[in-house]
Amino acid sequence: MTTQSAKPVQPIWCPGCGDFGVLAAVKRAAANLKIPVHDLVLVGGIGCSGSIHNFLEVNGIHALHGRLLAQAVGIKLANPKLTVVAAGGDGDGYAIGMGHFMHAFKKNASVLYIVMNNETYGLTKGQASPTSQVGFEGNVEPPFHSILTALSIPASNFIARTFSGDPKGMTAILEEALTFNRDGRGFAFVEDLSPCVTYNDTYKLWREKTVDVSKLPGYDPTDRKAMFRLFLEQIEAGKMPVGVMHRPAEVSREGLETKLLGDRPGPAATSTDLASNRTRYEELLATVG
Amino acid sequence: MTTPATHTVPIPAEAEKKAAASPLELADLSVMIGGQGGDGTLTVSDLLGRYFLKRGLFVYTSRNVLSRIRGGHADATVRASRDPTAAVKAQVDVLLAFDREAIDMGREELAPHGFVLYDSTGFRSELPNAAGFPFATLVGGPLGQPIFKNTAAYGALSVLFGFDPAMTRAVIEERFKRRGGEALEKNLRALEIGRATAASNGIAHRFSVVDGDGHDLILTTGNQAVALGFVVGGGRFFAGYPITPATEIMEYLQRYLPAFDGVVRQAEDELAAINMVLGAAYAGARAMTSTSGPGLSLMTEGIGQAGTAELPVLIADCQRAGPSTGQPTRHEQSDLSHLANLGHGEYPRFILAPSDPVDCFGMTIDALNLADRWRLPVILLLDQALCQNTTTSKRFDLSGATVDRGKRLTPEAVANLAQYKVYQLTDDGVSPVAPPGTPGVWSEVTGNEHDEWGHVSVNPTNRRNMMRKRMEKMVRARDELPAGRLFGPASARIGLVGFGSTSGPILEAQQLLERKGVATRYYQARTVYPVPVHELDPFLKGVDTAYVIEHNYTGQFGRLLRETMPWHHAKLAPVLRYDGYSFRAPEIVARVTEGR
Repeated sequence: MTTQSAKPVQPIWCPGCGDFGVLAAVKRAAANLKIPVHDLVLVGGIGCSGSIHNFLEVNGIHALHGRLLAQAVGIKLANPKLTVVAAGGDGDGYAIGMGHFMHAFKKNASVLYIVMNNETYGLTKGQASPTSQVGFEGNVEPPFHSILTALSIPASNFIARTFSGDPKGMTAILEEALTFNRDGRGFAFVEDLSPCVTYNDTYKLWREKTVDVSKLPGYDPTDRKAMFRLFLEQIEAGKMPVGVMHRPAEVSREGLETKLLGDRPGPAATSTDLASNRTRYEELLATVG
Repeated sequence: MTTPATHTVPIPAEAEKKAAASPLELADLSVMIGGQGGDGTLTVSDLLGRYFLKRGLFVYTSRNVLSRIRGGHADATVRASRDPTAAVKAQVDVLLAFDREAIDMGREELAPHGFVLYDSTGFRSELPNAAGFPFATLVGGPLGQPIFKNTAAYGALSVLFGFDPAMTRAVIEERFKRRGGEALEKNLRALEIGRATAASNGIAHRFSVVDGDGHDLILTTGNQAVALGFVVGGGRFFAGYPITPATEIMEYLQRYLPAFDGVVRQAEDELAAINMVLGAAYAGARAMTSTSGPGLSLMTEGIGQAGTAELPVLIADCQRAGPSTGQPTRHEQSDLSHLANLGHGEYPRFILAPSDPVDCFGMTIDALNLADRWRLPVILLLDQALCQNTTTSKRFDLSGATVDRGKRLTPEAVANLAQYKVYQLTDDGVSPVAPPGTPGVWSEVTGNEHDEWGHVSVNPTNRRNMMRKRMEKMVRARDELPAGRLFGPASARIGLVGFGSTSGPILEAQQLLERKGVATRYYQARTVYPVPVHELDPFLKGVDTAYVIEHNYTGQFGRLLRETMPWHHAKLAPVLRYDGYSFRAPEIVARVTEGR
């Protein structure tokens, strides 16, 4: 007998929203990698993009605003067998969630974090976000560049940037990111440029500005210094670089969950009953005093 | 060992004669150790505690330190008694002072027969009942560092109290064996310096310690007991952020949990800590965080999500004096009102208040079971004195322990279901849940209002059903929540009500009152929210007056009682202390006898 689980609901997004591209790419990447639905967990942030887990057949948890990475890391450390994807927007990740964003690279738990960056707060109707251009809705602060921040934290992470206008390229990158996670190699961060058709319709502009970094002279995703310079030069030239920005040269299991647990089952799967732990508990209690 | 005469202040001859005649036997004694932070007052307190434990006495130590690593006045008191005790003694029998400030601060509490032993390296005291030795100078020469002065002072105290020399030494060996080699050797030498100096300079066996009949007792703290209870209760995931007086829970778990495939993480802040715990609980682990006031404020949104998303999490709140940064190292019980109303909106939560280490151990296990059984946040309401004061305790054992994962679905049970609804409406409001990774099923979990499938819903009928599903847990769980305890004759017309570490001084006050012919009945609350009206209403009916004794300004538990049982309003009399110190039994006695 098949047990019926929650069915996906219709997306709440506006027709043409860049987030549809991410939804399709996540679905295709998970299918291509044959990740069982019950082993896949999608952690949604707050904002339009954070509702993505409702639109797929998947385990979904809707995190608090800005806290999706903390919840995703908690899930992964509790059960390292799960494939954990956190997905939210630029406001969620780079404003209220900035503290956790920085630490996620350092922690290096093997989870995938997708930020759908539309350079605005769409759900609350078009306010400036941390990535908004100067002049957008009266914004006077320079935009934040997550890739530069990501490259500045020396940890064994996978870092990439995609564009919702290129679903094929995005699927390939998500597959690589998920494989990186599933091999226990650490944190994968993918920023997707995902236009908001209602408050910041940038499809045409961004299609003109995006540039595939892998085609640029000097491209070497194992060299942080070179990639930092390359990225900075491109944005200073008014371009929007996309592609794999960092891929550790060394293939090793650097994921936090692996460092802490090795191949042991982890907090959610290990035994918690008294009977099988009795002797060890008695030994522990005998050490007190 | 010769002592530089200029620094030594011997005991006045008269006092000496009296002392030599016959040592004063103390069946309940208190030693205060005071100095600057970094002087090692807590070490002396620990050494004395270990010695008295060996003598079969019940020990209670408390600390009075500042929120800084070094400097500033710090003191600790050690009480040792033939009878069980969990309170600071009102009067100090012996004061060990490392500086003048310690004498000035401590002498007010000195008993009439009290004696002061002090380090005369920097000053001389004119007190008649005092003796000074330059401990810092005495150890500084031979051992190279003055820091061993605390162990030397412990040696001098051992002469003053007529301690058994071998047992005195064994305590040092126990305390420093883990650090081994040089540390152990130097402390043993400091001990001998202290003993020899005292013995050759007129400190006699002035007080006598009785033997107790406490057997197989341990010295522990509430924080250690909570950590152990968490492990035994199947807790396997902890995330926290360092904060006084909660940090030790995290530190103990860092030692204990890895051996049980558990994970302990020090998060970047309390927001991350509670959210990591939410994630781990969602994934199916028994998960906890511990914090104190400021951290609790930051965790509030997360705890609300646990209530609405129905995630079983445990939060240990080690209360300290608030609000804001408040007094980080000081005792208070002022988070109760905040916790009872924690967060925006309405959701169920249980708040449990253990009173001693055995309770901390057992109720942490209860709390884990209740969180899983009812799928909601459970808060352990602790306080600084309970968390950090060292006390003798019965050994923790597994006799009363059970691990109940509630309606958790096994993969086999899930496979037999036609539908898996993570928020299924059931008779008791608790939905059977399978963690992610269970083959064949998946679910949507959210802090948004949702339908049975976990889909976001604003349907008013659904909203009413889901609100009732969650909120009625607080009513349905009533008989599973830890019951309060009653002490004293049922016929007594004076009631006492308290919770947490306040139980120690209340029980002592009850005995003192009994000796004065005043009968009282004490209700010790162990579940403080939801208020156990089914226990408190009959209790309050049976008394004319009930003194609600708690450490805060506004009488928070008393207010909760008034709110839930307004018909008892006139009987409730607050007894409050909010100066950072815990109650001494005599002040409770005075308040009760005044009120008659």
